Amino acid sequence: MARGSVSKGGLGTSAMTGIRSSLARRGQFRFACLAGPGALFIVVALLLPLLAIVVFSFWRTESYELYADWNLDNYRVLLGEPAYRIFFLRSLAMAAAVSFVCLVFAWPIAYFIAKHGGRYRLLLVLLLAAPFFTGVILRITALQGLLGPIGLVNMALAELGIGPVGMLMYTPLAAGLGLFYLFVPFMATAIYLSLANFNFELLEVAKINGARPWRAFVEITWPLNAIGTAIGLVLVFIPCLASALTQRFLGGPNATSLGMSLAQQFGETGTWALGSAMGVFLFLASLAGILVVRRTIDLKRAGFTGALGA
Amino acid sequence: MSNKRNESGRKLARALRLSRRALLGSAAAIAGLAVARKAPFIGNAEAATPTLRLLMWQPYAIKETVDAFEGSFKAKFSPTFFDGNSEAFNKMKVGGTKDFDIVQGDGFWPRLYFRQGLTQGVDFAKIPNMAGVFQDFLPPNFPLLADETGATNVAAPNCWGGYGITVNKARIPDSDIGSISLLLNEKYKGHISTNARFEENIALMGILAATNLGTVGAERPDGKPFNPYNLTDAELDETKRLLIAQKKLLLTRYQDYDALDRLMRGGSVWAAPEFSETYRHLIVLRREGKLDFDVGHVLRPKEGGLGWVDTWMISADADSERVELAHHWMNEFLRKDNYVRVVRSTGYGGTVDVRDLMTADEIELYFQNRSAEASQLHMFDQPSSPEKWERIWSDVEAS
Repeated sequence: MARGSVSKGGLGTSAMTGIRSSLARRGQFRFACLAGPGALFIVVALLLPLLAIVVFSFWRTESYELYADWNLDNYRVLLGEPAYRIFFLRSLAMAAAVSFVCLVFAWPIAYFIAKHGGRYRLLLVLLLAAPFFTGVILRITALQGLLGPIGLVNMALAELGIGPVGMLMYTPLAAGLGLFYLFVPFMATAIYLSLANFNFELLEVAKINGARPWRAFVEITWPLNAIGTAIGLVLVFIPCLASALTQRFLGGPNATSLGMSLAQQFGETGTWALGSAMGVFLFLASLAGILVVRRTIDLKRAGFTGALGA
Repeated sequence: MSNKRNESGRKLARALRLSRRALLGSAAAIAGLAVARKAPFIGNAEAATPTLRLLMWQPYAIKETVDAFEGSFKAKFSPTFFDGNSEAFNKMKVGGTKDFDIVQGDGFWPRLYFRQGLTQGVDFAKIPNMAGVFQDFLPPNFPLLADETGATNVAAPNCWGGYGITVNKARIPDSDIGSISLLLNEKYKGHISTNARFEENIALMGILAATNLGTVGAERPDGKPFNPYNLTDAELDETKRLLIAQKKLLLTRYQDYDALDRLMRGGSVWAAPEFSETYRHLIVLRREGKLDFDVGHVLRPKEGGLGWVDTWMISADADSERVELAHHWMNEFLRKDNYVRVVRSTGYGGTVDVRDLMTADEIELYFQNRSAEASQLHMFDQPSSPEKWERIWSDVEAS
């Protein structure tokens, strides 16, 4: 309407262009006003500390002093000393195992809620967040009470005449259980959000055409919801890779992770430069994890096409 | 008609929009004025209330003590808590002298803080309640409260204790108690626990390592007496070997005293080096009939032990008003009637003689008759090379 009126009013092309550019400028200004604070926060709270960490990683610490002597020693130590490789491999193995177990457990939960949740779907999804009603320390403490040498599980086993199971507490397995407990809601929620938009009638079509349920799942449900799985994997894998607290409280003496070692560099030993190099390394490892997930998911088939125009 | 109603509706809507805008604008202006009016008032009020900012161990932030101090001096008590000495030292090094007026440290740390210019001298004359402190904790008997020259007092004493070994006497016979090597005894595999901090683990095992190597009494490279925080490379190698051997025997490295309490009470852990807190707690439970085994505590193993005397120090950048307030805090803290509360609340040994205010059981429990033993312990210190110690600890943790 506006465009027609202006044309009838006899405005030329240059005036039109002026109005358009004025509108565009106004739109840009509004966008800048809306997005600016968030962008500024990201720059200040995320990028600058990250930059500082990168810079420190090329410096040197000695007796709690940080010296700006540019060198690669921290990376040489990090990659050359077996201890740090072991910490990283432990973290990697733990993150991969926990992500896999979360995936196996979360899929049926999310599938059940999406398909059979009916009008309780939202409530059931919100219940997934129930563990977050309390803090992480409290949840870990609760696990200690449950799995510990004198915890509920071992006491019940003792009542049944079975000796206490030592592996349940202060072992890497215990740390893995703790991480699973902490992160499975993330995985389930991500998969559920993907399944919420999934057309279950496609499975009926597959069934009519003779596909067995397992084949229908493998060829339809799984690939079309791969984006939810991918997001879930990233949400679980990356925090697990960097996790320290769970291993510290549940893992015992053989579960020291790269995250625990990193925390120690900053908290106790004051070897900030080495800790910074660990931080950079962990950041790059997380980035690599995301890229691997990204490459293994066929976004077009997963239905994630709009935003990328793929 | 309909069009007219629509038109009037649009006008009304415009009017409402305008009035809403106007209302929002007015509200913002009023809020701005209110803040502008109130801001100086807040500023003045804050300025009028002196604040004492402390970097301290949490157990000493006792509500009654804090309330009494705030009431007496019309000051605000603002604590920040830390766990280990190195953590607090790191905080002070990275600008903490501007953020804190008082910092706590033990062992050799006060000298280090002072030497590095992070703290200023403490005027004992402004702390009359120092009169109640045992002589064992005052210079020259306890020289670590003064700098190396002895000219400046750098800290006021607080509580003391050791890093001894608490044992379940129902599980461990007396013949196995009394040496650090108890923590390496295969018989107790899966029932030993140590704390998670690298400093105490390395230093305590360093004493045993130096004893094994026969270097404790030998001449040291620095010409000073043996200090487990300043180990030679050979001693550090032996320490690492011992710690790796010990790791196979550990149930866990406990993260806090609640955890150790639970593990010892439940009978999962039979021996653990600790700051006597769990020992005292278990002794109380035993006396109350809530524990069915005897508990022992070796304050000083035969090879030597670690000890600590907590102190209060004043930050280098504290201004004169805050320095006065800091002295008041130290004085109030060391006042006998408060100090009894501190000892009972924290469960630590007292450097102030409060025997006349305690029962016989309490005197025994809080080491009130054992202040002389403090001088026989190796005081907590800064590791000679945090980098080297970090590498050793990482090797142990990765083994």
